[in-house]
Amino acid sequence: MQLPRWALAVADENGCWGSSNAALASVTSLANLDERTLVAKAQAGNRVAFEELVRRFDRDVLRLALNLMKRPEDARDVYQEAFLKVYRNLHRFRFECSFYTWLYRIVTNVCLDHLRRRQARPEDQAPELHPNHREEGITDFFERQREHRPTLDPERSMMGQEIKARIAHALERLSPRERVVFEMKHYQGLKLRAIGDALGTTEETVKNSLFRATRKLRNELGGLR
Amino acid sequence: MSPFENKTTCKDIAPLLVFYVCEEVSEDERESIRMHLANCRACSEQLAEEKAFHATLLSAPQSADELDGSGILLSQCRSELEEALDDLSAPPLQEHWRPFGWLRGWMALRPVWSGALLVLVGGLAGVQLVPWLEHNSGNTGQALNVRARQPLTPDQLSNMVVSGLTVSPSPGSDSPTVRLQLSAEQPMVLTGRADEPNVRQVLTYMVENSERFDAGVRLDCLDALKAAVRDQQVRLALLNAARKDQNPAVRMKALEALRDTAGEDDVRQVLVDALEHDSNPGVRVEAVNLLVGSLDNRPADADAAPETPEAAPAPAPGEDASFEHVVRVLQELQRRDPNPYVRLRSAAALRQIGPREMQ
Repeated sequence: MQLPRWALAVADENGCWGSSNAALASVTSLANLDERTLVAKAQAGNRVAFEELVRRFDRDVLRLALNLMKRPEDARDVYQEAFLKVYRNLHRFRFECSFYTWLYRIVTNVCLDHLRRRQARPEDQAPELHPNHREEGITDFFERQREHRPTLDPERSMMGQEIKARIAHALERLSPRERVVFEMKHYQGLKLRAIGDALGTTEETVKNSLFRATRKLRNELGGLR
Repeated sequence: MSPFENKTTCKDIAPLLVFYVCEEVSEDERESIRMHLANCRACSEQLAEEKAFHATLLSAPQSADELDGSGILLSQCRSELEEALDDLSAPPLQEHWRPFGWLRGWMALRPVWSGALLVLVGGLAGVQLVPWLEHNSGNTGQALNVRARQPLTPDQLSNMVVSGLTVSPSPGSDSPTVRLQLSAEQPMVLTGRADEPNVRQVLTYMVENSERFDAGVRLDCLDALKAAVRDQQVRLALLNAARKDQNPAVRMKALEALRDTAGEDDVRQVLVDALEHDSNPGVRVEAVNLLVGSLDNRPADADAAPETPEAAPAPAPGEDASFEHVVRVLQELQRRDPNPYVRLRSAAALRQIGPREMQ
């Protein structure tokens, strides 16, 4: 996992500013530390250790946020809000569960809040970009570069986009909790028990949510094979 | 076939198929599902549909792949988080206090009016402020002017240092005016007539505490207290000074201050003591003069008696004894005092009171 260059250059073992080869070696060695040690260091105020923790999990966090929120802006907000909450409340983490579970509890709560707000006030949300209309609205240089990837098969892409659009439409009919459970189960690959831990509920409740979500989706996507 | 297997029906199995596909069933449930599926065509078909549906869901492109396939959004998120953490870690900015900010803003926008305002303020300051300051500094200075209304506390008395003492005659009064510059808890100037209780208190204190105050100051105090010799406190202070002050000039001055009361017993005793014990001849001469003067002024003086002796009051027995004691002391001085001037003055005094001695 790569640390930003500035962090390698200026951070010492205690997360303080300064530059030396020893500091560089110390920062690099953080990548080899286990999760518990990293958390302990971050709790002691080591900023670099916290950033290492972020880098270990933030890809999954952003993925979950993107899949749930469907909009990069919202996903970015969820990412920022979730990790800032983690940073502010890290001293309260008592190792009673894994850091991963604790982190996901925060992330899913933030996602649920956003989804509920969106459900309550849909007019406040920016319109979701429809896949077929994306090309017309692309103004960002990096967004345009993505379209030139050689791995993309135009025909497969078209079919996939259609299925995705239908699934996305069907997912919109789910409640926020059902969406989170469905996403964490099918796209994050979490076990129901872990999802229950993250949501602060029982495995049985999560099981019921997943069952209802699947039923609704099957009804919505009846002809999808 | 186990009892459990006998009980499994399609109604029991169907809800489990969703979880069977995504591997969220227990071992028992898995076994019973397998056994049921082996004999149930309908449930097998439903399972196939569930699997196909599940596969479709998994194979569909996910929003995350499409929206951030290149990882640019992730990089942006990381950068923003680092900035937010920097903000959280940074100490809060201390806003500088900018007094009269509104005035400065007003002046910056209106340079002509600002110039006129500054000229006006400067003029006012020059015309009004400077004389006012001079007037106030003349009145207050660093010292607190006390018109001797409040007595000084014992603490103030014990801590005071005299930096100046002026005694000047008061118009229309025997009691002189005293201006005393003190450094007590704060500098102060004490002014008032010597017979005012608070002034008298300070002067008496200085006479009584001879070790703390300069002899010149004590002399000035005695000079000022002369008019208040009838006050008991002052009188005691003067008597003590006449007996015990280490400076002969002060002792002599104290005797002089007691002149008007020299005929009284306690003062006369001090005078006699001075004659017998004071080491300074000047003090002894002063004591001789005062004694003679007091004897001369006695109303019971037989020589000055009216023509009808019967009408003159007879001297008290104690008075005669005192007189005789004075005479004896003077005779002793005339004979033995080491200082010739004292001997001469004593002889003259004896001659002066001779007629009385003859009685």
